[in-house]
Amino acid sequence: MHHPIVKISNLDKYFGRLHVLKNVSLEVPEKQVVCLIGRSGSGKSTLLRCVNFLEDPSHGTIEVDGVVVPAEIKGKEKNQLIHDVRLKTGMVFQEFNLFPHMTVLENVIEGPVTVKGMDKNQAIALAEQNLDSVGLLFKKDEYPLRLSGGQKQRVAIARALTMEPRVMLFDEPTSALDPELIGEVLNVMKKVALEGMTMIVVTHEMGFAREVADRVVVMAEGELIEDTSPEELFTNPKDPRTKALIDRYRTAE
Amino acid sequence: MTTATNPVQAPNSQAELLYQAQLKQERQFRTNVGFSWGILFLILIFLFSGQNLQIGSFTFKTINVDTAFILKNITFIAGGLGQTLLISTLSILFAICMALLAALGRLSKFPPIYALSTFYVSLIRGTPLYLQIFFFFLALPQLGIVLSGIVSGVLALGLNYGAYMSETFRAGLSSVSKGQREAAMALGMTPSQTMRRIVLPQALRFAIPPMGNDFISMTKDSALVSATGFVHELMWRATKVGRASFNSLEALIMAAMFYWVLTLILTYFQGKLEARLSKGDR
Repeated sequence: MHHPIVKISNLDKYFGRLHVLKNVSLEVPEKQVVCLIGRSGSGKSTLLRCVNFLEDPSHGTIEVDGVVVPAEIKGKEKNQLIHDVRLKTGMVFQEFNLFPHMTVLENVIEGPVTVKGMDKNQAIALAEQNLDSVGLLFKKDEYPLRLSGGQKQRVAIARALTMEPRVMLFDEPTSALDPELIGEVLNVMKKVALEGMTMIVVTHEMGFAREVADRVVVMAEGELIEDTSPEELFTNPKDPRTKALIDRYRTAE
Repeated sequence: MTTATNPVQAPNSQAELLYQAQLKQERQFRTNVGFSWGILFLILIFLFSGQNLQIGSFTFKTINVDTAFILKNITFIAGGLGQTLLISTLSILFAICMALLAALGRLSKFPPIYALSTFYVSLIRGTPLYLQIFFFFLALPQLGIVLSGIVSGVLALGLNYGAYMSETFRAGLSSVSKGQREAAMALGMTPSQTMRRIVLPQALRFAIPPMGNDFISMTKDSALVSATGFVHELMWRATKVGRASFNSLEALIMAAMFYWVLTLILTYFQGKLEARLSKGDR
């Protein structure tokens, strides 16, 4: 039960001279929902993007469901390992990144058919099931252009789920949305969490963190400064920077 | 749902009335332009009618064309349309391949590939198309490579247009956002799958309207291939019959009309294609 799905060990990341992740280690057990919070520029998105190698870590090791990828490894072997990691991770982006030249259904079956070589009918059945669970089956033949931001993001979630990943990575999934559309996306994410998906969520939505997360990890200046339960975080923040973050949220509320 | 499926508003709303008025104005404008085109066309025909217009003591003489010559040779010149279209089509296909390779090379991070691409584009854009056609036809035989007129023409036109079109393709490729590639990569797609399934379809869609323009220009630049003397397309036929009986005026007018009509037809289809691409899923 507490077998870690994601294990980040001693991760460093430099952008040129900028040291954006400083010796970060984090373990996420199966079925846990972890919210990564922190001010912009704290390195939380970079850390998330290192998990599926959209960013290449400079030092350290990423392990996803038993696939171990040390940063030092190079060449063909590394590409293969990264591919294995990506098959086990689903990613949801701030900007949705649906493929505009494909319909909703085509977007969702693209991964299983092209990457996994899944039979098309089987992929469609699975895709329709996931589109139904995000409440957008009736939009399956529309192009993304015709969807609202909230609908696009829900399709993006269905697209990631249809790859049947072991862990879902959310990179500020509601930050590009109009306020009135945030709720529908958070509800879908809550549903995914309740179905037992392991999730790492980079977010500014403190309400979501409080309600859905099993654990909240706070980042500042490329380091993990606090790793605790939501109750503890909101009632008894330890680091002054965390306290500032929580206070700002409270005044906004 | 927030998205309106029917763009037509309630018929009596202010916005709808304004929209209708605007449509009416646009229609009116187009009708007037069409009418003016008709008049200009009639004037053009009149200028070549051979009629003399007497205004007071001033006589306006129009150009007298040899109608018998035109009727006798029109089918011969029209016979060149097929060759013109054949050269243009083969050349544009070759140009598309070259442009795609050059555009991908231009985006490469590997210096020799990047250099090869920019070198090709620079060399081709730095020399005249006319010279390039002759290079393939007249210069290569000196090296023991003898190409027919049509092959020389297609190679030269294809290479030339490919160099110019590579810019269009590059713009198309850069129009696809980084997020699209990242989404594809996150799904586990290989770089070549990402290129084929995600980036190229979007880039091509972006590049199709300018490619249509290039094809239309190509049908006319194919006339240069006549200079080899061995490709019997429109221009070659027109100069041949024109020179033979000192009727170049009539012959060239005929060729011009054929090129013009061809361009009008192609422009019409291009407009249709563009309209189709701009609605729907874009």
